[in-house]
Amino acid sequence: MLQADVLVVGGGPAGVAAAVDLIATGLRVLLIEQRDRLGGAIHRAYVGTGPCPVRRNAHHERRWQALLDQVNQAGERLTLQLQSVFLGVEGDGRYLFDDRLAARVRSVRPRAVVMAVGGVERVLPVPGWELPGVATVGGMQVQLKETGEAPKGPILVAGSGPLPLAYAAQLAAAGQPPLALLERGTPFGAALKQPAALLNGLRSWPALTEALGYARQLWRARVPYRTGCRVTAIEAAPDGLRVSTVDGRGQTRVYEVAHLALHDGLDANQTGLPPQTAAGLPVAWAGDCREVLGAEAAVQDGRQAAQQIAKALQQPCPEARFDDRLQSARRLQAALRAMCPAPTLDIAPDTVVCRCEGLRASGFAALQGAGSAHEIRVVGRFAMGACQGRFCARATQQLAAHTRVTFEPRDLHGSVPRWPLRPVSVAALAAYADNEPISSR
Amino acid sequence: MIDDTFFWLGHPVDFRPGETFAAALRRAGLDDLGPAMGQLRGRYFCGIGACQACLVSVNGAAPVEACLTPARAGVQVTLAALPACEVHRVAS
Repeated sequence: MLQADVLVVGGGPAGVAAAVDLIATGLRVLLIEQRDRLGGAIHRAYVGTGPCPVRRNAHHERRWQALLDQVNQAGERLTLQLQSVFLGVEGDGRYLFDDRLAARVRSVRPRAVVMAVGGVERVLPVPGWELPGVATVGGMQVQLKETGEAPKGPILVAGSGPLPLAYAAQLAAAGQPPLALLERGTPFGAALKQPAALLNGLRSWPALTEALGYARQLWRARVPYRTGCRVTAIEAAPDGLRVSTVDGRGQTRVYEVAHLALHDGLDANQTGLPPQTAAGLPVAWAGDCREVLGAEAAVQDGRQAAQQIAKALQQPCPEARFDDRLQSARRLQAALRAMCPAPTLDIAPDTVVCRCEGLRASGFAALQGAGSAHEIRVVGRFAMGACQGRFCARATQQLAAHTRVTFEPRDLHGSVPRWPLRPVSVAALAAYADNEPISSR
Repeated sequence: MIDDTFFWLGHPVDFRPGETFAAALRRAGLDDLGPAMGQLRGRYFCGIGACQACLVSVNGAAPVEACLTPARAGVQVTLAALPACEVHRVAS
């Protein structure tokens, strides 16, 4: 029988930090995590024996290990549900999750909730981005962390921001340097033009030393780092993929690869989250799903959420302030955005927009007359696929803006979250039994 | 290092305990997971269960994300069946 005051969804740094602090105030916590181990994407566990051969940020690792130690000492106030996927909230306040180990849906009726489901990568649609062999940089990186092995065959890393840099360096360290690292922006030029951003970047010493370490790794492995360079098209080739690119001077270059890793930034993963303003039940979002600030800030944000929840439940808790640390993470993110600004969408008609159902930009053009996010969704089926628009909402919004229909990407989801958020089997639903009290009071 | 096997469309695929189905499929060079909705292919993409492009069926059960699900020895794994609405679309 599940016993908990607070449900925490997501076992990455934010969720685990929140759970640990909530337990310290005397509350009972149910922590659910979709994977079979805690860690989230950032601390995806290595399955081999001994230390993972992939080098990680030592500071993050120590902090994470300290959190895991606290989890191990949490005792019976913490209930850990692994391989359990949050599905949604019933009208009566039951939080449903798919317990995949038990092959049944279960529910809790907590007194408060922390949602800590992380971020989701942004990838700009280019012709061929839907092909097998093309994955997000984060997706490739979690596999590298999990297996300790780089993928076989030539690989190209392209996009923008710090994550492609980190992954390319980790590949090089694993003995499989990418053919090149392509950065869409021109970070050095942008930094010189925006001294304030440069200064903010320099103020974050740990981030700077981490970036320099990656740069050194790439330099040693002779990996070309091309700025102002982007992928224009991807085609299937007999041995993998043919990736066409262009640089700022208009020079084109074609790479023949087995794998292409793409990444154009991170967004908060807010699709289908119960709102923070839900009447009655305190709900806090924490970590990258509230605001993308990175792993270190996620721990602070999780602790801040725990404090909010403890206060809302009138549970005595130590006063702590997290604003300064969150603010410094915010400064760093702003500096990174200034150096690698979000690119504008330039999408050819035959480019796949919806990766779930294969809808193309040309299909959007045929939707003339759709005057709102709602019509674009229900008539055009954009953002209606299994991913619920996580990977097409932004492109759909920008395509719509070209036809003078303006809305925010999240408007495509409508005003009511569409639950269940993830595939759930009828058998698991049928095995659901609503007799598991959750709250101890 | 490798000490277990599952079956992808009947073919043996080795994995290490703790690894996801997706990681083992990648090592085996199985990037293209077969025909999926909208004339696309089943494939690994996001690695965190968000994109739903790597849904597989284990021993004929309901779809699960290959990128999240720990591999198990001896099971038969296929790409998850196309949703009914796609079948309808093909038929109409």
